[in-house]
Amino acid sequence: MKYDVVVIGSGPGGYVAAIRCAQLGLKTAIVEKYPVLGGTCLNVGCIPSKALLDSSEHFHNAQNHFKEHGINLSKLSVDIKQMIERKRGVVKQTVDGVQYLMKKNKIDVHTGLGSFKDKHTLVIKGGKEEKTIESDKFIIATGSKPSDLPFAKPDKERIITSTEALELVEVPKHLIIIGAGYIGMELGSVYGRLGSKVTVVEFMDRITPGMDKTMSKELQKVLKKLGFDFNLKHKVTGVERKGDEVVVTAEDDKGEKKEFKGNYCLLSIGRKPYTEGLNLEAAGLSTDERGKIEVDDNLKTKVDNIYAIGDVVRGAMLAHKAEEEGIFVAETMAGQKPHINYKLIPGVIYTWPEVASVGYTEEELKEDGRKYKSGSFPFKASGRARASMDTDGLVKVLADKETDEILGVHIIGPRAADMIAEAVVAMEFRASAEDVARMSHAHPTFTESIKEACLAATENRALHI
Amino acid sequence: MSIAVKVPAVGESINEVTIAQWLKSDGDYVEMDEVICELESDKATFELNAEASGVLKIKAKEGETLEVGALICQIDENGDAADSEGEEKPEAKKSGQDDKTQPEDNGKQDGGASKTGEVIEMSVPAVGESITEVTISSWLKKDGDFVDLDEVIAEIESDKATFELTAEASGFLSILAEEGKTLEIGSPVCKIEVAEESSKKDSGGVSEKDQSASGSKSDNSTYATGHASPAAAKILKEKGISPDEVKGSGVDGRITKEDAMSAQKSDKKASDSKPAKTETNTSEGSAPEQSASDRSQRREKMSNLRKTIARRLVSVKNETAMLTTFNEVNMQPVMELRKKYKDTFKDKYEVGLGFMSFFTKAVCMALHEFPAVNAMIDQDEIVFNDYCDVSIAVSTDRGLVVPVIRNAEKLGFHQIEKEIVRLATKAKNNRLSIDEMSGGTFTITNGGIFGSMLSTPIINAPQSAILGMHNIVERPVVENGEVVVRPIMYLALSYDHRIIDGKESVSFLVRVKSLLEDPARLLLGV
Repeated sequence: MKYDVVVIGSGPGGYVAAIRCAQLGLKTAIVEKYPVLGGTCLNVGCIPSKALLDSSEHFHNAQNHFKEHGINLSKLSVDIKQMIERKRGVVKQTVDGVQYLMKKNKIDVHTGLGSFKDKHTLVIKGGKEEKTIESDKFIIATGSKPSDLPFAKPDKERIITSTEALELVEVPKHLIIIGAGYIGMELGSVYGRLGSKVTVVEFMDRITPGMDKTMSKELQKVLKKLGFDFNLKHKVTGVERKGDEVVVTAEDDKGEKKEFKGNYCLLSIGRKPYTEGLNLEAAGLSTDERGKIEVDDNLKTKVDNIYAIGDVVRGAMLAHKAEEEGIFVAETMAGQKPHINYKLIPGVIYTWPEVASVGYTEEELKEDGRKYKSGSFPFKASGRARASMDTDGLVKVLADKETDEILGVHIIGPRAADMIAEAVVAMEFRASAEDVARMSHAHPTFTESIKEACLAATENRALHI
Repeated sequence: MSIAVKVPAVGESINEVTIAQWLKSDGDYVEMDEVICELESDKATFELNAEASGVLKIKAKEGETLEVGALICQIDENGDAADSEGEEKPEAKKSGQDDKTQPEDNGKQDGGASKTGEVIEMSVPAVGESITEVTISSWLKKDGDFVDLDEVIAEIESDKATFELTAEASGFLSILAEEGKTLEIGSPVCKIEVAEESSKKDSGGVSEKDQSASGSKSDNSTYATGHASPAAAKILKEKGISPDEVKGSGVDGRITKEDAMSAQKSDKKASDSKPAKTETNTSEGSAPEQSASDRSQRREKMSNLRKTIARRLVSVKNETAMLTTFNEVNMQPVMELRKKYKDTFKDKYEVGLGFMSFFTKAVCMALHEFPAVNAMIDQDEIVFNDYCDVSIAVSTDRGLVVPVIRNAEKLGFHQIEKEIVRLATKAKNNRLSIDEMSGGTFTITNGGIFGSMLSTPIINAPQSAILGMHNIVERPVVENGEVVVRPIMYLALSYDHRIIDGKESVSFLVRVKSLLEDPARLLLGV
C-alpha cells in the first residue's frame, strides 16, 4: 500500500491533520496503536476529565448552592460508578465520531504500533496481522504520556497518574497531589467536590506556574475554599505505598522534613513526549534530551519527508495547539503557506471557576521592559455572575501603554474557557482595549466583564465598578 | 527636489574627464549658472556650472576620473526658499541642509536627529550575467523616509526576475530614480543621508512616524496599519506579496481578506484601476450598456519580460538568416512503446513517460551527428558545443520562458522527464533562477499542446536552431502501396542559414524523424 501521507497517532493533532490532508486531495492513512481513535485527549485527557468535572460540579452545586437557590434535596449521594459510566459513554460517542470522520474523508485507519523501517516505510505491528505501508510523507503525532519521578513509579492502583484518576471506583478519602499544574488542579477539583480531602505538594512558590500571577493567586484562593491544602515550595523526596496507604515525604524550603499520608497519590508533574516503538533511528530521526523531536519553523524534522506535530515537538502541550499544527502541516505539504501565531494560542484550566489566558502575562511584560497598562473587572460586579452565583474571579486586560493594543487577557471566572475566544479574535486583529470596549456585548452576560476590563484598561473608566 | 549634475559631453572623442578642482564645498549653497567645479580632459579644461540653485552635494572628489554622463554632484533645490542667507556660511549650512532634506515632514524638526553628514549613494547592483538594465518596479519607501540598514526599500525588475533593493545604510532616503524608470547597472538609484536611528526616536513627533514605518503609507496610521488578518496573511504569503505593498481597507488600515485576495504584485496595481474607470464612464453614457462595454479598451504596461521577448524576437528575425524546414513523423511506434511501458515506467521512476523524453533523446543524438545545428555564432567565430543543453519552451502566465535541461545527452528518459516536471513547475510558480534559464544550445517548443498543426518557430538566440513539435492527428498515409491511418505529427526546424546549410538542417530533421519512427534506434545509436 502506498500513500501520499501517513499520520502516526490519532489524537486531536493527528486526526485533524489527516482530515485536512484528505480535504486537500492527498491519499491519507492514519496509524493508531490503541483499538480506539482519539488519543490522550479523547480517551484519557480533555474529554473524560471534563465529563467528570461537570458531574462533580453538579454534585457540588447540589450540595452547597441549591439550598440558596430554593431547592431542597435530601439523601444526596455520589454514585461514582455511574459517573464513570457516563464518562465512558461521552468518550465512546466522541471516539465514534472520529471513526466516522475518518470514513467520511476516506482515510484508511491502520490499528497497531507504527514502526519505521526506513523513511518511506512503516511496519504496523500488534494489529490482526503485521502490515507494511509506504508513504511519500509522514506526520508524527504520537503525543505524550504522564511523567513520573525517579523514586515514584505509579503502581496504577494507589500511586496513580491522570489516566487512572479518570477510572477510580471509589472517592478517595485523602488524595495527595504532587504537582500543582492544570492537571492536578482539575482532577483535584473533581475529587475535592466529591468529598475527598485534597493535599497539594508543589515545588514552585505558586500554583499553575506560567499563568499570570493574578490568576494563580485567585485560583489558589478559590481552591482553598473547596478545601485544598496547599504545600508550596515543597520538594517531594519519597512516595511509598504501605498497604492501602500512600506516604509522601517532602522537604520544605527551610529543609524541614514533612510527611503526608493519604490513600491515593496523584502524580501530576507534567507530561513527556511519547515516541516509544516508533523506531525513529530507522528513518534517520532522533529525539533531544527531553524526548522531543526537533522540527524547523515548518514543523519539518531533519528528514525531509517527515513532519512532527503536537506534544512530541516544542511548545505547549495542548490539544488545540496540536490541531493548528496538524492543519499547518497538511496545508504546507499542499504548497500553501499557512501561519500559526503561537503567542495567541490560549491556555485553559477547567477548574470552577475556569481559568483562561492568551497573550503576554504581566510577568512577561515586566521582564521585557514593555510599558503596559492593566485593567481588571471582578465578576462580583457582574449582574450575570450574581444571578448564577458565580462571583469568584476577574478579568484582567493588559494593553500597550502608548498604542492601547491588547497584549494579554487573563480570565478566571465562569465559562472563561469559552470567553477567551473573544480575546483571541481581538488580538489576531490587533485590536486595542478601547476597540473591544466600544463593541456591544449582550446584557446580561459574563462577557460584559471583558468589555468592562477593557474600559478599565483604556482610561480606567469601567462603568459598573 | 534634487537635481543630479552629470559630466556633460564636452567634445567629440572625449569620453572621460578628471575633476581638477571644486570651487564650492559640499553643502554649500550655489546659484544657478555659478561655476562650481573645474574639469579637465586630455584636451582641455572646462568649467562646470550649477544647473539650478540649491544646496550642493558633492558626489565625486577632486582627482577622480569620471566618464561622460557620470554623476558629479547633486543640487538640492529646496534650499532655495528655505535658506536664503545660508549661502557659503558653514555654520548656517548645516541646519539649513537639515531643514531642506525633509521639507514635507514638519514633525521632524531634527531636534535630536544626529545626521553624520555622510551621504551614501546607492546604485543599481549587478544582478546577474547578461542583465544590463533594470526597471524600478516600486518604491517601498518614500522620499524622505527614514530607512534602516538592510531594509528593503525598492523592488527592481529585470527581464528575467524581480529583485529587492536593500538599504546600504540607515538614514533618510532621497530617491533619484522614480518608479517605472529603466536604469543601467551601476546607475544611481537613491541616496541615503546617514543618520542614527536612536536619536531620531527621541524626538516626539518623529517616533510616531517611525513606528508606522513598517506598513503605513497614509498619514493617520496606527500601530495596526498594514496588519493582515490571519486569512489575509496566508493569502499574501502564498502570493508572495509583502503586507507592506498592500493598502489595507479595514479599520485603521488593517488588511482584510478581500484586500489580500485582490492584491496584485507591483505595477499591475496601476493597470487595475483603468478598467474600473472605463466602466464608470460607460455607465454614464446613454448608449445601451452592452454595446458600450463591447468597445471598451484596456491599456496595460508591458512587463519587462514581455518587452524583452518582443525585442529579442524582432532582433532574431532581423539579424539571422532564418528559415524553416518541415517533416512529418509517424508517432505510432512511440505511442505503442509508451502505452506498453508507461505503468512500469511510472512505478519505477515515479514520473510519467511523456513524448518530451523521446524528442529530447532523438534531438541529442541528431545534434551529435550534425554539430552545426548545436553551434552558435560569436562575432567572427562559430562556437561548437559538444554537450546538449536543451532549452524547453514553457508557457507561463507572465509569458514564455525557456528553462534548460543540462547535458540532456547524458540523461536517461526518466531523468529528462523529471527535470522537465521540475523546471515547468518552477516556471509556473515564477521561481526559475536566472541560472536555470541561461545557456542552452538548442530549443524544443511544443505548440501541439495548444493544438497547433504547423508553425515556424523563431530561434532562441544566440542558438542556431529550434525544433517545433505539433499536434498528433490521425491522417491517411501510404505504406507499402496501401493507404493506412497513422497518428502523424508535423515537425518544423527553424534554423540560422548563416551557419547551418540546407543539407544539414534537412538531414538533421530526417534523422530525428527516423529515430522517432523506430525508437529502437535510440537504444542502439544507429
